[in-house]
Amino acid sequence: MKPHEFYIWMSYGMTAAALVAEIIALRLRRRQSLRRIEEERDLEAQD
Amino acid sequence: MKIPWFYFASPSTFYRLAGALAPWFFALAALLGAAGLYMGLVVAPTDAQQGEVYRIIFIHVPASWMSMFIYFVMACYGGVSLTFNTRLAAMMARALAPTGAMFTFVALWTGSFWGRPTWGTYWVWDARITSELVLLFLYFGFIALANAFEDPRRGDRAGALLALIGLVNLPIIYFSVVWWNTLHQGSSVKLTGSTMQVAMLWGMLLMALSFWMYSIGASLTRVRAIILDRERRTHWVRALAT
Repeated sequence: MKPHEFYIWMSYGMTAAALVAEIIALRLRRRQSLRRIEEERDLEAQD
Repeated sequence: MKIPWFYFASPSTFYRLAGALAPWFFALAALLGAAGLYMGLVVAPTDAQQGEVYRIIFIHVPASWMSMFIYFVMACYGGVSLTFNTRLAAMMARALAPTGAMFTFVALWTGSFWGRPTWGTYWVWDARITSELVLLFLYFGFIALANAFEDPRRGDRAGALLALIGLVNLPIIYFSVVWWNTLHQGSSVKLTGSTMQVAMLWGMLLMALSFWMYSIGASLTRVRAIILDRERRTHWVRALAT
């Protein structure tokens, strides 16, 4: 990869980071949606 | 065989279908990605002019293709939601936008890190690069506009309209290297053929397929969360969360 390994790994590294970040965001989004549904249901049950 | 489109257009049906399909698309993306990386980083020879740095092509070009393709599909869903007033099409448009923005960012980032050793600069206000940056802003604009309304259906319509207007940017990106004298090189792969060495071409095509499968998996996963948010007061969603 020399002498340009910095540019190559910065490209591949950022791509991997972006993919991992999106997968984590997707999991968090789903968890957030489910929590919101549970909270609303609990509030309605209290009323 | 007749496909029951209206049956699958129901959010409750599509929620289950998307949940069943998404893992398969992610698995396909991983397999194709592994094969593409092997072809690109191990099998493909060193480029005679650029040396090893050309290997950025295996993520730069597929990410650029996906950035434009996802926008096109997103605008189509927007058009369908505006024309037929279908909820699911609007949700799919929303689900595609963040993945499209991510690939546009990756295309710009990798292009920048490819430009530095080959052109001597990370950035230049070249027609191809600038129009790709406009695409990133269109994605951001779509996400911001669609979420700016309290009533999500109004957000859907505003976002769809912006997505359709932004379609004009796609031919500008694609033909910018033909219409203007740009620093960015012309297309190496066309529908009529390619000037690339076979292993290089296969590495790039496998990575493009991998990104494509990933995009489908990610948008199906995201649309499930959007459906949960929108339909949270329905019985079927309440039953799911128990």
